[in-house]
Amino acid sequence: MASHVVFKRAAFRILLLGAPLLTLGTAAEAADPLVKACSKTDEFVIGFSQANNAEPYRQHVNDELTAAAKAVPNFKLQIADGAGNVNTQTSQVDNFITQKVDLLLISPFEAAPLTPAVQRAMKAGIPVIELDRKTVGEPGKDYTAFIGGDNYKIALTAGKYTATKLLPSGGQVAVLEGLPSSTPAVERLNGFKAGVKENPKIEVVAEQAADWLPDKAQTAFAAMIQAHPDIKMVYASNDMMAAGARLAAKGAGKEGQIKIIGTDGLPGPAGGIRAVAEGEWAATFTYPTGAKEAIAMAKSILLDCATKVEPVVTVETTAITSENARSLMGK
Amino acid sequence: MSSLPTTEQQTPARDKSAAKRRDPLALLVRFQSLIGLVIVAIGGIIFSPRRHGEILFLAPDNIANIVRAVSETGIIAIGMTFVIVTAGIDLSVGALLGLSSVVTATMMINGGFGLAPTIFLVLLAGIAFGAIQGTISTRFRLEAFIVTLAGLQAARGLALVVSGNQYINISYGDGPGLAPPVFAILGERLFDNVVPVATIVFVGFAAVATLVLNTTRFGRYVFAVGGNERAARLSGVPVTGVKIAVYAITGFASALAGIVHAGQFNFGSANDGAGYELTAIAAVVIGGTSLFGGAGSMIGTVAGTIMLGALANVLQLNNITPALQLLSTAAIIVLAAVLQSLVRRREGLLR
Repeated sequence: MASHVVFKRAAFRILLLGAPLLTLGTAAEAADPLVKACSKTDEFVIGFSQANNAEPYRQHVNDELTAAAKAVPNFKLQIADGAGNVNTQTSQVDNFITQKVDLLLISPFEAAPLTPAVQRAMKAGIPVIELDRKTVGEPGKDYTAFIGGDNYKIALTAGKYTATKLLPSGGQVAVLEGLPSSTPAVERLNGFKAGVKENPKIEVVAEQAADWLPDKAQTAFAAMIQAHPDIKMVYASNDMMAAGARLAAKGAGKEGQIKIIGTDGLPGPAGGIRAVAEGEWAATFTYPTGAKEAIAMAKSILLDCATKVEPVVTVETTAITSENARSLMGK
Repeated sequence: MSSLPTTEQQTPARDKSAAKRRDPLALLVRFQSLIGLVIVAIGGIIFSPRRHGEILFLAPDNIANIVRAVSETGIIAIGMTFVIVTAGIDLSVGALLGLSSVVTATMMINGGFGLAPTIFLVLLAGIAFGAIQGTISTRFRLEAFIVTLAGLQAARGLALVVSGNQYINISYGDGPGLAPPVFAILGERLFDNVVPVATIVFVGFAAVATLVLNTTRFGRYVFAVGGNERAARLSGVPVTGVKIAVYAITGFASALAGIVHAGQFNFGSANDGAGYELTAIAAVVIGGTSLFGGAGSMIGTVAGTIMLGALANVLQLNNITPALQLLSTAAIIVLAAVLQSLVRRREGLLR
C-alpha cells in the first residue's frame, strides 16, 4: 500500500506539479504528510469559499463551520461569499491562493467553472476539501477530498417515503423544482421521480421550477392546485419552497389536506424542522452540511500530519418526521 | 436633455474640453476614476497583508487576479460607455452575456461547429440583438430603459430555450460533442503564467474603443447626439443610425464577454451574468460619464472598472466582510455623481 502510494504521488508530482516545486524537496519520503508544515502548535488559516451566502442553507453551513472551527484554537477560518457568481468565486479562490492559506474549503457554485481555480490551489500545494458540491475530476487526485450529502439519494429517499408511508394508496403528486439548469435542482427532481416509481398508483401530475424561492413557489403551487384539484402531496426541493407551497395550500383552503415534504431540514424558526414539529408539513429530509466532518479532516491534515484522507465522505440524510422533529428542535 | 445653450453645439465635445481645461474641478472630474484608482492602490499597498516582507497586493499574480476578475464586466462597461454618452441605457447586457455563453457552448458541443464560425456567429447575433433593440427604441420613440428591460427578459428566455433548461459543460478534444481545445486558452494565463487571456481581450477591446470614441467621426457623432440631439440632427448627424449603432456595439460587447465567459469557465449557463448590467453602469458612472449624455471618457470607464476590482481584492485579502464592499461601492458612486453635478452647475454659471 505504502509503496503504491509513493509511486502514485511521485507520478502525480511529475505530471502536475512540474519542476519548480520539486527543486525544494529531495526524493519523496515514504508517505509524506499532505501538508509539510503541519504541526500541533502552529496557527493555521483555513479559507472557505462559499457559493452564495444569500441562500439560508449556506448561511447555516457557515454557522456550523464557524462553530466547528472555533473549537480548534489553532484554526482561523476566513469565509468569502461568492454571491452566486462563478467569476466572483474564482477570484476569491485566487485571493486565498495569494494569501497562501493553509487549507481551502470550497462549495463551488457550479462544477466546471470552478475547476481551474481548484487546480491552481492544488498546484500551489494547498489541500482542497470540497463541501456539498464537487468540481470536475477525481477526488483524491484533482482535489484532496469531497464531503457532502447526495442530492439524488436524498430526493430518492423522499420519493420512497412518499410511495410507502405517505401515500400508500397512491394519488396525484406535484414537484417544485429549484433553479432550472442548476445541478442540485436536476438531481433532486430526478431522485424524487425515481423514488415514487416504487408505487405505480402515484402519478406526478405537475412539475414547476420555482428557483428555490418561497414567493415563486407559492405562485407556482397555487396554479397547480387550480389545474389539479386532486393533488394530495407536493415535494419541494428545498425548505423555502415548501413554506411557499404551504401558503398556496392555505390560500386554496386546503391546509392539512395536501401533504408537504421539504428538503434541507434547516434549524431555526424559519426552518423545516420547526414546520414539521408543528404539523405544517409531513416531513423534511436533511441535507447535512458536513461542517464537522470537514473541520475534523482539516485537523487530521494540518495538526496530525495525515499522509492520506478518505477521498469521498458521504454524509447521510436524516428523515425529519412527526416522530422525531420535536426532539431535534433547537439542536 | 442638456440645458446648455445651443449656440456652440456644433462641436460640443471640443468646446467643453476647452472649458474644462480652465476649471480645476472639471479636471478633477475628468480624471476622477484614475485618481480613485490611485487612491485605492495606495490604500491597497498600505493595508495589504505582508508575507516575508512581500506586499501581497502588489504580487504579480494578485494584480493578474484583479484584472481577470473584472475582464467580463469591463468589456460590457466599454460598450455601455457608448450608449450612456448618447444619453441612453442598456439593461440587457448581463442577460445577453448569459445567452451568448449558452449559444457558444451549444454550438460547439451539440452543433459540432468549429471555433471560428462559432465566435463569428455569436458576435453577429450579439450585434443583431443590440441593433434590434436600438431600432425598436428609435423607430417607436420608446425609452431605451423599457426596450432593453424587455431585451433582458427576452435574452434570459432565449437562453433557457437554447439550453433546454440545462447547463452546458464544455469538454475539449477532437470529435463530435467536444470543443476545439484551443478555446480553453481563454482561461489560461500567458507570459510565464501571469497575464490572463481574458484580460488581453479586455485591454484590446478597450484600446480599440478608446480610439473609436476619441479620434473618429463616429465618436464625435456619439458625443453630439448625447449633447443635444436636435442640434446634432440639424447639423447633419445621422442621429438614428448613430443610436442604433451604439446598441449594436453594446450587443457586440456582451457577446464578446459571453464568449470569454464560456472559455474561462468551460460552461454555458442561462443564469450567468445576472446583475452585470448594474456593475457595468456603476463602472461607467464612476469613470466620469454622465447619464445625461454628451460627456464621458473611455479611459475613465476602464479605470473605474479596475478600481472596483482592486477594492474588492484589498477587502478580501484583509478578510473584511462583503457588506463593507457594497457600502463602499455605494459611497463611491454617490461621490462620483455629486462631483459631476457640481461641474454641470459650474459650467452653467460660467456662461
